[in-house]
Amino acid sequence: MNALEVRELTKAYPEFTLDKVCFCVEQGHISGLIGRNGAGKSTTIKGILRLIDAEGSVSVFGKDFIKEEMTVKQTIGYVGGGFRYYPMNTLAAIRKTYSPFYPTWDQNKYERFLAQFELIESKKVKELSEGMKVKFALALALSHGAKLLIMDEPTSGLDPLSREEFCDIILQLVREEGVSVLFSTHITSDLMRIADDIVYISQGKILEACPLKELLCKYKLARFSSLADASAVNAIGVKAVKEGYEGLLTRDMQTSESIAVTDATIDNIIVHLEKANEEKKNVKFD
Amino acid sequence: MLNLIKKEIRLCLHPTAFIFLSFAGLVFVPSYPYEVIFFFSCLSVFFGCMMARENGDISFACTLPVKKEHIPLAKMSVIFGLQCIILFLVGIMGAIKGAIFPIEQYFNYSGISANLVLVGNGAILLGIFNLIFFPRYFKNPSKIGVPFVIGAFVIFFLIGVFIVLRWVTPLYSTTLNGLNSENTGTKLAALAIGIVIYAVLSAASCKLSMKNFQRVDL
Repeated sequence: MNALEVRELTKAYPEFTLDKVCFCVEQGHISGLIGRNGAGKSTTIKGILRLIDAEGSVSVFGKDFIKEEMTVKQTIGYVGGGFRYYPMNTLAAIRKTYSPFYPTWDQNKYERFLAQFELIESKKVKELSEGMKVKFALALALSHGAKLLIMDEPTSGLDPLSREEFCDIILQLVREEGVSVLFSTHITSDLMRIADDIVYISQGKILEACPLKELLCKYKLARFSSLADASAVNAIGVKAVKEGYEGLLTRDMQTSESIAVTDATIDNIIVHLEKANEEKKNVKFD
Repeated sequence: MLNLIKKEIRLCLHPTAFIFLSFAGLVFVPSYPYEVIFFFSCLSVFFGCMMARENGDISFACTLPVKKEHIPLAKMSVIFGLQCIILFLVGIMGAIKGAIFPIEQYFNYSGISANLVLVGNGAILLGIFNLIFFPRYFKNPSKIGVPFVIGAFVIFFLIGVFIVLRWVTPLYSTTLNGLNSENTGTKLAALAIGIVIYAVLSAASCKLSMKNFQRVDL
């Protein structure tokens, strides 16, 4: 049974459409949701949590989100970036209101997180730095025994040390408690560090949803001296770089010795797939 | 649901919700259109919704383990509770005024006296405001101004209607006016009609708001 199954999630706005998004998060896996700004990462997460009125179905541990909304939400911990709510209230007031919603709330665990994150409950939310707001959101989400964590750019406001700490906590939760995680991010180093799977979304469509290793093995980065060389091998998303051109090739493609080939990073893959996607779109409009 | 109501009380109530309850004391002001007291109750709803927007309250509530349609229900339940308190306080204050003031000072030259009929009129005003404001607000919780302006306009129009009725119809100027001890049966009937209208309109408002909120994009 998958921790999360998203099937044909669709939401149409006047200038953007989330188009039949389908993917799964396996139990005990960490899935990274990646894509450029405006690609539909946050819309996908909002659609999963019913923060927007989207079509399609979402099931969590085999339970339909709409039919069993309250039960499903008990198993989810949501971190939407930093804690942006109730700036004038103290952390204690928010915790006192938040915890009764979860019968599985673990006050000791929460206090351990407060100590670990150096959070002071008597402080007001507006007095926290962006990083501390993320930590507070994490402390709340992690203290009620969530089995699935859904996080929208949780590391974006964190300094490198805090990000490392965040990654350690997530890995620990996955290993020790079998928690499953879906998180969107721009910081690919975090993905490389903890993600098992990648869901890559572009212009509202899923371009790739596979294990991270599979994605990295699927492509290689090739450098060409001329555009003609790149076209000859049907390189994907070719773009000009400082010395020549760069594009992706599928791993099984044989190339001549004149083409320099290296392993592709996630950043390389995103950049070139995005470029190829844009080219396709332009051709369509032409 | 109970936890949501507790959340509303702990985190979402604007101070004016309590301050405006004390405005029930305006019934002691001589020659004042007492129905305006109920407008202040509507104003506190506006401030509360503004505060909810600034606090990201509805987005926060949507992430909690609750049914989405329970979110407007909880918010409105708390507001209905406050509205019932203001109706009750106006009734009590009016009765106290009737008991301690001489009749010439109890009599109101700007509208109806502070009696049970005033409470009935207030219930009608609040019920109509609920029906106008909440379904529009829960269609788009970030836009509070337009639903409130429409609601306030209708409320003031109806206050005007009640004042005109008090001066041009014998029913309002004599039978329903004055102390509760006079024509008590008729006044109780007017109060009951007001309460029934309030209950029906508020229930309809609740149902529409819950339906509209299902389609909200946050």
